[in-house]
Formats: sequence, C-alpha cells, structure tokens
Amino acid sequence: MNLASYRPAKLFDELVDDHGSIRSYYRSIAEKLERLRSEELQQKLRSLELLFLRQGITFTVYGDEQGTERVFPFDPFPRIIPHSEWEHIEAGLIQRITALNLFLYDVYHEQSIIKDKVIPPEVVFGASHYRPEFVGASVPKNAYIHVCGTDLIRDSDGRYLVLEDNGRCPSGVSYVLENRAAMKRVFPQLFGAHGVRPVDTYPADLLATLRHIAPRENPNPNVVLLTPGVHNSAYFEHSFLARQMSIEIVEGRDLIALDGFVYMRTTKGLRQVDVIYRRIDDDFLDPQVFRKDSCLGVAGLVDAVRRGNVALANAIGTGVADDKVTYAYVPAMIKYYLSQEPILDQVPTYLAWRDEDKKYILENLPKLVVKAANESGGYGMLIGPTASQAQLQEFRDKILAQPRNYIAQPVVNFSQHPTLVNGELEGRHVDLRPFVLWGDTVKVLPGGLTRVALKRGSLVVNSSQGGGSKDTWVLAS
Amino acid sequence: MERAENLARLVRISEEMLLDDQSLGGLDAQVYWNPVLTATAMQQAFHTLYPQPRQGDAARFLTVDERNPDSILSCIRQARENARSVRDKISDEMWSEINALYMLVNSYEGAELLARSPQSFYEKIITSSMLFAGITEATLARDEGWNFLQLGRLLERADMTSRFLDIRSQTNATQPDAALETLQWGAVLRACSAHASYRRVYGGEIHVPNVVDLLLFSHEFPRSVKHCLRRIDEVLHDISVTPTGRYSNHCEKIIGALLARLSFSGPPEVMNRGLHAYLDDLQIQLNQAGQAIFETYVLLPGEVDRHFPRGTRPEAMSDWHREQQQQQQQQ
Repeated sequence: MNLASYRPAKLFDELVDDHGSIRSYYRSIAEKLERLRSEELQQKLRSLELLFLRQGITFTVYGDEQGTERVFPFDPFPRIIPHSEWEHIEAGLIQRITALNLFLYDVYHEQSIIKDKVIPPEVVFGASHYRPEFVGASVPKNAYIHVCGTDLIRDSDGRYLVLEDNGRCPSGVSYVLENRAAMKRVFPQLFGAHGVRPVDTYPADLLATLRHIAPRENPNPNVVLLTPGVHNSAYFEHSFLARQMSIEIVEGRDLIALDGFVYMRTTKGLRQVDVIYRRIDDDFLDPQVFRKDSCLGVAGLVDAVRRGNVALANAIGTGVADDKVTYAYVPAMIKYYLSQEPILDQVPTYLAWRDEDKKYILENLPKLVVKAANESGGYGMLIGPTASQAQLQEFRDKILAQPRNYIAQPVVNFSQHPTLVNGELEGRHVDLRPFVLWGDTVKVLPGGLTRVALKRGSLVVNSSQGGGSKDTWVLAS
Repeated sequence: MERAENLARLVRISEEMLLDDQSLGGLDAQVYWNPVLTATAMQQAFHTLYPQPRQGDAARFLTVDERNPDSILSCIRQARENARSVRDKISDEMWSEINALYMLVNSYEGAELLARSPQSFYEKIITSSMLFAGITEATLARDEGWNFLQLGRLLERADMTSRFLDIRSQTNATQPDAALETLQWGAVLRACSAHASYRRVYGGEIHVPNVVDLLLFSHEFPRSVKHCLRRIDEVLHDISVTPTGRYSNHCEKIIGALLARLSFSGPPEVMNRGLHAYLDDLQIQLNQAGQAIFETYVLLPGEVDRHFPRGTRPEAMSDWHREQQQQQQQQ
C-alpha cells in the first residue's frame, strides 16, 4: 500500500495531523501496510471478499429486483481510536443513555420535564412514536432503551459530535463482529502489539442485558429474538445474534399469547417466553393494540407486557427519545436530570415547527441538511448544497405542509479516513456508531461500526446508499 | 437440495440417453423430452414458456431457467433461501456448502462449465448435494431440525424414484425395441445410482420386474420408495414420540398405510395393475403425505384466514407478508 501518495483531507483527517505527519497511534499500522506488496494485498482483498460471500454476510436493498442481496463493502484499513479519546466518548455515551432513559420514564409517568417547561409539550406529544397508551405503565427496572446505537461524527476540529440516537431497533453490530473476525483471519500480522480491545463479548453482554429484565427476577428466563422474517434487510443480523447468544429466533406466528402470558409453539407443546428481543416496530407488535393488519406481531402481546409477564427490549415507545426534534433537547435533558454539562457535543439543529427556525431554514435551504423527524437509513433527507432546484422545492413544500416533521442542520464536513479505492488510498468521510447496552451496568462495545461513504465527497454512509464499513480499533492504553 | 440433485440426475441421464438414441437412429429429441417433462409435472409450464421448442430448450428449461420455479437453479436458490432463514439451526459448514453451490451456479464459471461440459456441471450439483448430506450427517445435532430435514429429503427422494420409473413406463408402450429398452432401463438404474446394487442382486441382465422390485420394494437399497417410507415412518414417530405401529396424527396414518401396502405386495401386483397406473397412485399418496406433514407441523390452522378472506391466492398473502417485513425499520 502506498501511503506517500495519500492526500489528507483539508478539514479533519483521521490519519494525518495538521502538520502533515501521521498521528502517533497510526504509525505502527501505517508501516506494516506500507510493507504490504500490491500482489499480496490484492490476494488478501480477494480472500476477504470471498470470506464475506461464503458467510453470506449480506444485506438486502429494497425496490431492486435484480441482485437484491449485496455484500456490505468492507475496507481493510482499520480506524484507530486511542484510549484517551475513547474514554471521553464512552463517558459521553453513558451520560446520554442515562438521560434518555430518565426522560422516557418521565414522559410516560410524571412528565415533570414538560411541567417544568424544559421541553415544550408539542415536542413530546407530537412525536409520531410517542405512545400515550403507555403513560403510567411500568417497565422492568424502569429502563426503556436497553440497546442503543448512537451515531457520532467528527467535525473539522476533530471534536466528536452526536449526530443521532437510535433507540428503537439499532442495527449493524453483527458487522462489527464479522469485520473483526475477518480482519483477524486475513490480516493477523496487523494486530501485532497494538493492544486492540476485543469486541467478541458483545453477544454475551447482550444476553446478560436481556436476562436482566426477566419478569420476577427469573434466574433462568427463556429469551427469544423476534424477527420480521427473512425478507427484512437485517435478517442476517437477527439470525447471527440469535446464533451467537444461543437463543431461539422466532417470527410472530411462532408465538401465542394466552391469558396474559406469551408462549412459543414447539412440536412438543407450548413453552413460556420471558424476554423478547424484538426487531420489529411498535406498530406491528400486536394487532389488537396497534396496526390491525399486522401479520408480524402477536395478538395479546401488549397485554402480557402490561401485566409484567413478558419483557420487551427495547420497550414500547422509545421512539419519542430518538425523534430528531427531541434530539435538539437532549443537552437540556442532561442538565435537567443529571445536573451535568453534556460530555459530547451535538450538531446545531433548527426545528421547522418553531417559526423563527422555519424562516431561517426556508431562507438557507441550499446550505442545510434537512431530515424527516422519524426516518432512518438515509431516506427522507435533503442535502442542500448538492440538491437540484426540483429537490429543494419538494422539501420546501414538505416543510411548509408538515413543519413538526422536519429539522435542519448545517452541513458538517465530517472527518475523512484513508480508504482503498481501486488500489489507491483516498480520503473518504467516515462516521462511527458505537453500541451501548443498558443492563445491570452500562456497557459500551469498544469501538462500534465505522461506516464509510465510498463515493468521493459523499456524506451519506448508509449501506443502502453506497456505504461501506471498516474495522474499528479501540486501543487498550 | 435433494430436488436439485435429482433433477440434475434426470437431466444428465436424459442428455446422455439422447446421445445414444440419436446414434441408434431413435426418437426425435422433442418426443423424447416429453415424458421427462410429464413425469416431473412441468410439461405445461414448458410449453407456455417455449411454444416452439428448439433443441436444448428442454434442458435449459429444467436447468437454468429462472422463470421455471422448479428448475435446478430455482431449487438451489430456494434451498439457500431456506438455509438462510434457519442459519441459527444449521452448522456453519452446511451453510458454506449450500452457499458455495449457489454462488457457483450463478457465476460466469458455472455458466461456462454448463456450456463446455454439461455432464461435469450436473456431476458438480449431484456431488455438492451429496456432500451437503454428508456434512449434515456429520455436523447436525439429532434434534427436531435434523428430523424435519430428513423428512423433506426422504419424501423428495421417494417421489423422484417413482418419477424416474415413470419416465420409462411411458415410453415403454411405443418402444418395442429390446436393445433400446435395456439401454433405457439401465439409464434409469444409473439415474438412481442403483446400477451396482442391481447387478449384485439380480446379475447383469435387465428385466423390468427386477428393476421395479429394486426401486420400489427393496428393503436395503437407500433410494427405494419402501426404504424411504420406512425411514419417514420412523422419523415421524420420533418427532411425535408415538410408538411404532400406532399413529397420533394424519400424516403418520397415511405413511403407515402406504408402507403396509408396499410391504405386502411386490412386482407381480405392479405389473398386473400396469406400471404407470401404479406409479400414478403412489405419487398421489406421497403428495397427500407431504401435504399432511405440512399441515400438521408447519401450517397453523386458523392463522391463515385471520387476515385474508377465504380464497385469497397464496402469492397475494406472501407478498403482503414480505412487504410488512421490509417495512420494519432497522435503524
């Protein structure tokens, strides 16, 4: 690999500092990669690709009839996060999930944050994922978000900023584990004396988190993973996690609710289920309570949850916390509940439902990124600087029609990382999604998923829109 | 997987025979493929897709045509899709094998192999399927998953063995030529990997009743219909923990009755009745057994009608299901 020809990003480059020299914690790996001959590298890349193909590590792109299944592109140059930086991130993430869980408990109980006028009622009650039916309902250990995937980016000064929280069904952790396994197999010599913190305890930690919320402190609960089914884009991850945790993976039709309990159908009769790690939306969980036409859920499930006979992770109604409008109030939440200053900063956000913000957004549309409040996966998004006149007009209309549904942020030119493109190293934008588990203790998986926007200059890292990923190394010291 | 293997066996042997036929000044290719298509119940689909079939169309239709839901390619795709949905239940090695075969038949190399050496292509599919069975045997825990896998495989095998026999039973009437007949029955035996077993039991000469005896009634030969049924009966009883000789559900009853019939009859009854009529009957009952197993263990009564009015096409239901699965946000 030729590092000499690498042209670092003008703004923040993960590899090269302001003075043009390679950052200290990248030096050893840079040397090793430089020594790799091109044929050797090509051969290793081929075996990586084959490894992913053979394992079937793929995702599905909807609305694409031909070749709906794709391998998630993987870049072999790992992203390195030094120990001290990680400590800062970890503390910030723990602070954030703590505040979000307190917020969720509050809005489904006393609602003091609204009474104290820290957050306007419209923000909470207007969120499409707010579940008024669950006000006053208790959840095990008063915890709502058990698994959180928080997206971070680095701005031009290298500061880590929170871009969004994913507190419903965050996905991508299987790629973290598979990327690491593939790197260890194909590039064992790179690890050397780095002291890379392992990630493979995640399935055990996730299982412990799920067992932690079992009803009546059952020491030996039956935990299952509820998947929408094979046609879902993340099905690989569902079956992967179930396998790693040695729990059953079920679809709604495999479960049945009777007299306030949930059971799994087996050929030998029914078996009671205690904890459900669900990967389907609230709306589809129970046709008796939410969408009547759902064929993925279990009729009577919500009743069993209310009676405390079965626990759900994540709890119902967490979507109000990762709503993009609520996001703007998370720093205020942290101050309100924890009396602390936020450890991690976030991106300034304009809310279209506030008149002065709406005016600013409409006047500055070409300079802003506009996002729908409840979309994910890079859908429902406008990137002002690269948008066409027609797209700008489309979003202008949308914002005027449904102001509560849109937010805008300045374009953050987030950091770049050297990435192998046609055999040459080029800078590509990267983000980071660490995974946080809220159980007996709060655990943050060291590193997380580094996603790369493979198109030059692109800021969209989503796998459905041409993104790839990298192994992420957190150093032990 | 088993179906892909059997189809590969069928097409391979058919193409081979076709070469023999032509050298013997035998049948016109089309007349020749018809019984094959009829026996596999694909004739109508074939004629819809190829109103004026040319040489090679039938083989293409059976092998790589994606529009044919029962082509070898489609079977392998479906097998892989099924494996994907139960990956937590099968071993990594099983997945690797099935996935590798899928990738091969979908690759340029696969297409090239089929064009250059069809025999090697079919060989490859047969070997891969057998390897898969071996890997399964060596790596899969003997739990319910194993039992159901065996059920599917054995049912498919019993069905296909009877279909192989049926192909000859149909050409038989129009083919009085003794040399050709020997050749064709030999081919049936080879398609079932039964040639060596046959020679060991009956010697070198091929007689139809002996072939029927081996492929339908043999107690020992693993691809014989009776052997498959006996294993299915055992597996079903193992799943429901019912003592042998009794039945606890509809599928056990059907299989038990069928097994009893095969146990107390032989080639003379078949030849009296007429081979084709006998096989037709047998296939209907095998289908009923498969349906009964599906209804007992897979389909949950009452589930289907919950969201759909009676008479909704199954495809419409599964499209709807798929759409909802895709709607679930994975953030």
